[in-house]
Amino acid sequence: MIRPFFYLALMIAFSAAANAELETIDHIIPPGYEPSEAQDEQGLWMELKDYELRLNKSALLVRDPELTNYVKGIVCRVAGDYCNDIRVYLIRNPGFNASMTATGMMQIWTGLLVRSTSSDEIAAVVGHEIAHYTRMHTLKRFRRLKSSAAAGGLIDIGISIFTGTSVPIAQSLASMNALAFSRDQEQEADLLGARLLHEASMDPHAAYRVWQNIIAEEESAAVKRRSVSVFAQTHPDDQSRVDVTREWVIAKYGPPDNIEVADDALVTIMNNHYYFLMEDQIDTNRFGRTKELLERHSAMGVEPGTIYYFYGEMFRQRGADGDRDLAMSAYRHSIETGNAPADAYRNLGFLYLKEKDIEGAKKYFTIFLEQEPDATDRAMIEFYLDKG
Amino acid sequence: MRLANYGVILMLASLGGCVTGFTVVEPGVNTFGSLRVTADENWNKAPSSFTPSARSNSRTWTQDGMLLDRIMIIPGVKDGESIFVSRNKSAALPVFRADMLPNEIEELVESSIVKLFGEGQSAVGTSGLRPQGFGTDGGFMFDITAAVTESPDYRGLVGAFIVDETLYMVMFLAADPYYYDKHAARAEAIIKSATLRTKSITNF
Repeated sequence: MIRPFFYLALMIAFSAAANAELETIDHIIPPGYEPSEAQDEQGLWMELKDYELRLNKSALLVRDPELTNYVKGIVCRVAGDYCNDIRVYLIRNPGFNASMTATGMMQIWTGLLVRSTSSDEIAAVVGHEIAHYTRMHTLKRFRRLKSSAAAGGLIDIGISIFTGTSVPIAQSLASMNALAFSRDQEQEADLLGARLLHEASMDPHAAYRVWQNIIAEEESAAVKRRSVSVFAQTHPDDQSRVDVTREWVIAKYGPPDNIEVADDALVTIMNNHYYFLMEDQIDTNRFGRTKELLERHSAMGVEPGTIYYFYGEMFRQRGADGDRDLAMSAYRHSIETGNAPADAYRNLGFLYLKEKDIEGAKKYFTIFLEQEPDATDRAMIEFYLDKG
Repeated sequence: MRLANYGVILMLASLGGCVTGFTVVEPGVNTFGSLRVTADENWNKAPSSFTPSARSNSRTWTQDGMLLDRIMIIPGVKDGESIFVSRNKSAALPVFRADMLPNEIEELVESSIVKLFGEGQSAVGTSGLRPQGFGTDGGFMFDITAAVTESPDYRGLVGAFIVDETLYMVMFLAADPYYYDKHAARAEAIIKSATLRTKSITNF
């Protein structure tokens, strides 16, 4: 399980001796693995299978075929011979995360898609999770928890936490720490994951680039997710994970060929589903992070009309001094591209209303209703049009 | 008395509160500061211990239990305040701004409900923004849906108006479809009954 701002970096002291040891890391379980006779492993599989049945009915499970086929294709490519052992679930959640259970149930959050600048970066996270799986880290973590004094209470929190997908907002940091993989396990997963990328003819350098993106987003955040002091007490500096992974990948596979560019597959996915993928991010009310993502998506080549529209949304909802002008400018830019969503006209109309420019408001409200005659807020728009 | 005994008493007292904390809301006009809301028949008012996300002056009513249906009465939200509260300082709760238009209140509620259920635990949508009068004050209503992990889907209605740069809101949220359908008509009547005690005339 990867939890972004939680145990971002886990490899500070990475000595040459450790490096040599990690060279020999390989999969522990073979393709087609079934649980052993051990009672606790059997029990864990039973619980997770029950969870998976519930997950299949979740309202937050993404069922769009293009999106799910895209992520499943990446998973299968990275997993290689393990492909048939993995069931992939794309979950509607704006956070950055992917997780994998001992049973082969992989969950990928939509937030991972909007935080990746290439399919290789998504594959890097997927490879990391597959490495946890083939190294049996989840079972080891389960046994470590069971043997600890706090295990009973932690397990009672719910199997959803074990899967890494449904952590209650009030969940204590202490509990989360206890559920984290060990530093050694993270090292193994990072490096074995990079190897899986290479074996799949993908870019192993994505294994550290994906973390650079997360660090950049965290630095741009107006509201940090966790107290820096608590984070620092329990985790090494996140930049160290990037540094160590980069050093290892360059030593093993050579320097990166060039600056990574977005691939057509991901840009197509983003363009076809951008509204769906970004609306939950907007709802997080985390404008610094949203702005960072928009800048990244713009550089990737996502449709400018859509990007400008979401800039407008971000500025308008942030509502700081000067944001209204920035929002109006962004909506106008969106409209000028000729590919603006209808909502750009409506929301620009609302801003003209705030400016008490009634004619401007009516102009854009009218265009909006022409484009969206069945809009569910038609009564509200017509109220303003009639108000004069 | 030893400290441990005090602890036992406190624990029993809190348990007692859990069992008996709900009180009956009688039919008729209920006043919350300057906001008046009319209950059609008996409702059950939740104790504050059951509503940790509610503002201190908010009230929550239910018929069948808060997980199944609830009416949240949120009076007197000032500029810069949020409609819910959180002890989590990194929750990034959105705040009300006095110059907000109805579409922005709709977004404020959408984002706030996301925080109420837990960020990443829900996908919330709104629709049907429409004008609605509240006494002599102009306001608006809209519909809300929420898909929540490990939970039933929710559906709801929101009514709100702004007077003197202050937001007044009544929100109904219920498990969909059964409990929403069961209580929606009564909840809508309660929402539409919201008025200010002091006569005012506003538009938005």
